[in-house]
Amino acid sequence: MGFRDADEVRKYIGGIFEAAFADAEIGPKLRDTAMVLQFAFTEPDTVVEVDTTAGTVGDGTGGAPPQAVMRMAADVGNAYWQGKVNLPLAMAKSRIKVEGNVASLLKLAPLGKKLFPLYVDSLRGDGRDDLVL
Amino acid sequence: MAIQSTETASRAYDPVSISPLSFWAGTWEEREKAFRTLRDERPVSWHPPLEGALMPPENDGVWAVTRHEHIAEVSKSPEIYCSARGVMVEEIPEDILEAASSFLAMDAPRHFQLRRLVSSAFTPKQVARIHDQIRSQATTIVDDLLATREGDFVSQVSKRLPMWTIYEMMGLPEDQRELAAHHADGMVSWADEDVAAGREPGEVLNEALVTLLQIGLEHAERRRAEPKDDLWTSLVQAEVDGRRLTDDEIAAFFVLLSVAGNDTTRNTISVTARALQDFPDQKALLLEDFGGRIAPAVEEFVRYVTPVQTFRRTATRDTVLGGQEIREGDWVLMMYASGNRDERVFKDPHLLDILRPANNHLAFGGGGPHYCMGNFLAKMQLTEILDQLLHRAPTLRVGEPVYLAGNFVRAVKSMPYTL
Repeated sequence: MGFRDADEVRKYIGGIFEAAFADAEIGPKLRDTAMVLQFAFTEPDTVVEVDTTAGTVGDGTGGAPPQAVMRMAADVGNAYWQGKVNLPLAMAKSRIKVEGNVASLLKLAPLGKKLFPLYVDSLRGDGRDDLVL
Repeated sequence: MAIQSTETASRAYDPVSISPLSFWAGTWEEREKAFRTLRDERPVSWHPPLEGALMPPENDGVWAVTRHEHIAEVSKSPEIYCSARGVMVEEIPEDILEAASSFLAMDAPRHFQLRRLVSSAFTPKQVARIHDQIRSQATTIVDDLLATREGDFVSQVSKRLPMWTIYEMMGLPEDQRELAAHHADGMVSWADEDVAAGREPGEVLNEALVTLLQIGLEHAERRRAEPKDDLWTSLVQAEVDGRRLTDDEIAAFFVLLSVAGNDTTRNTISVTARALQDFPDQKALLLEDFGGRIAPAVEEFVRYVTPVQTFRRTATRDTVLGGQEIREGDWVLMMYASGNRDERVFKDPHLLDILRPANNHLAFGGGGPHYCMGNFLAKMQLTEILDQLLHRAPTLRVGEPVYLAGNFVRAVKSMPYTL
């Protein structure tokens, strides 16, 4: 099983960041990273772009240029946000390709860890246990 | 409130700080001065998180352990001071730690299983074969050295033997060895401005790591398709408790071996070459009876050099170390460079003394389950290269070593030589 369409990818993966911005503990830390990060997904093709300064989640149109772009299949993205993908290993296997400032992504790592449960909760909340790994 | 103020007071940062990048970019002698004060007055001391972290530190401080006895205590108590929560002294993203450290950053039982598997590849027959190869390679390196008049000792001599040894054992194709060794350097030198050359440290580290992982993965695939009589074939075929190693585990192990196998021995060769020049009486003593004295001499060289300066453990519960109350989750940093200069254990610790009695140094670790498993390889290499250098290149002179800035390995970037 996987995401049904691009809207679902944006809803759930974009939703992680919307929840993160709203979180009293994670929100301010995420804003402190002051970066624009783009996730470019395939299967299905779609873009999620996060501007941590503005606190917005968009589709990559009309915003500031991203400092880093992470390209991956949507199912890899699903696994990544559940903490099941090691970034350097995924890069070594070309399952995730990173363009731009990889160092900034690494700095996000500790925050990312805190986002995993939010993501899993949102899947379960919608009855999408099939996406939970 | 009273409790809080007591806690704050007990956790005041030590006035001798080991945390700034400048401390680790300074000289060994400067650091040793600070360590000596700590050893004598506050052997287990509290410091701000070390600068140069790749992400914001989660802890508000770290413990520095500077006496030999306490480093040994930490090393030998893995149930209290664990490795699985990281072994580097600054904060590093978990993904990197996992992909780079293999069993170095594991606890029992997984640590033991993986380590046993790797040890099983070192049969007496394999070890004898490796020794013959090291001897022959050391001869070739000194042949090449003798064909020159001057140059950089690190690239001409020190770098070549460990790189060759570790990758020959693995059966890595020769055309990939330079690249792999280059990125193994990146894994330990990202804090050095020359190496980073304007890039962010995290970028240098990630590029090095991803490249090493790729080489390790490709080599595993190669050996599955075409098994040979080498360590990598043993690893892809081996089973631990009915389970084979995953590609990820093999790739992480490639990174660990590349770093542990290259840098440590390389830097020991460089600093030892310099030390034997600085202590000519010791060189003469060794040459009087090389075969009889090289074994204790090698122990002294690794003590004197201390190629790995630090490792970290994390407290799994509240405990007491050297009179200090350590709390669960606290980081405990073992300062090997300090422990190997502890006057309580070593007489005249700043002198090279190849016949030092009961040389219970910490250069391979302070004992316990993480004691350096490659120590025999390091000793073989040091013995063979020094045999060649001292007997065949008696006019060798080395200049001032240029050290890498960093808190992990005591690395020599370059050192001029003449013949």
